[in-house]
Amino acid sequence: MRAMVIDDSRAMRLILKRIAGQLGFEVSEAANGREAIDQLAAMDTPPELALVDWNMPEMNGLEFVIAVRADPKYKQMTLMMVTTEGEQGQIVRALAAGAHEYVIKPFTPDAIVEKLALLGLVPNGAAA
Amino acid sequence: MNVHPGPTEEDLQTIAEQVWASYLDPDGSSPLILLPPEKPSREVSASVSMTGAWRGHVVIWTSATASRHAAAALLGVELEDVTVEDVTDGLGELANIIGGNVKSLVIGPTALSLPHVLISGESGYPQVVEVCKLAGIWRDEPITISVLQSAERAGRAG
Repeated sequence: MRAMVIDDSRAMRLILKRIAGQLGFEVSEAANGREAIDQLAAMDTPPELALVDWNMPEMNGLEFVIAVRADPKYKQMTLMMVTTEGEQGQIVRALAAGAHEYVIKPFTPDAIVEKLALLGLVPNGAAA
Repeated sequence: MNVHPGPTEEDLQTIAEQVWASYLDPDGSSPLILLPPEKPSREVSASVSMTGAWRGHVVIWTSATASRHAAAALLGVELEDVTVEDVTDGLGELANIIGGNVKSLVIGPTALSLPHVLISGESGYPQVVEVCKLAGIWRDEPITISVLQSAERAGRAG
């Protein structure tokens, strides 16, 4: 399976790439929503999973989720927000826009694994 | 009416513990020791600003060495391999994470800025009051985290 990590922080992309890679994902990365959209457009098949930060320059994570959900080509993509935006209202906005799951930073690898297991993307008991 | 008393030192401590456990000290061998440093340092600052119903800043001040340790831990590289870009990225993300968690403790709606990192420079925040502060020592180096509220807003009742 393939995953795309979308975050403007290189450190955070590295952390998430490490976790997803250890779970067996082939991982690509983008520094903001616009860059991710451009990469998706160039792919024959979109990745199964995108891990999406919220606060990013150019195109933020919520705008990315809305753009992806508006395009039927990407209807199979699972979108997980990974962000510091922890208020209930923000979580509701992201889920209403089409995100499947929501993880608040800081997170442990186990928190990511648990959410991916809930989504059926990794087996229960998987470890990163 | 929702009452938002605002973040406290205890809140900052909880957030810092989560950040250290997740990224800076996952094996528990180098915790942040909450003792006011003898020589606080402002060599490196990383901050995010909030605008909206609550206006202010969350600022991390560290020594240059502590900032390099933080970048090394976040990026999984050796200390001697840390670059200025690594420090900028790593400290900026720490400010983003801590600031985002502080944002959930203040009155909303409030928007969070992208992080700003200053190395070997004087950072100033005019017309603010310090709401709370966490000062400690990590790897024998000083780190301070401050929540600064716009004095205009802080002066208003409620």
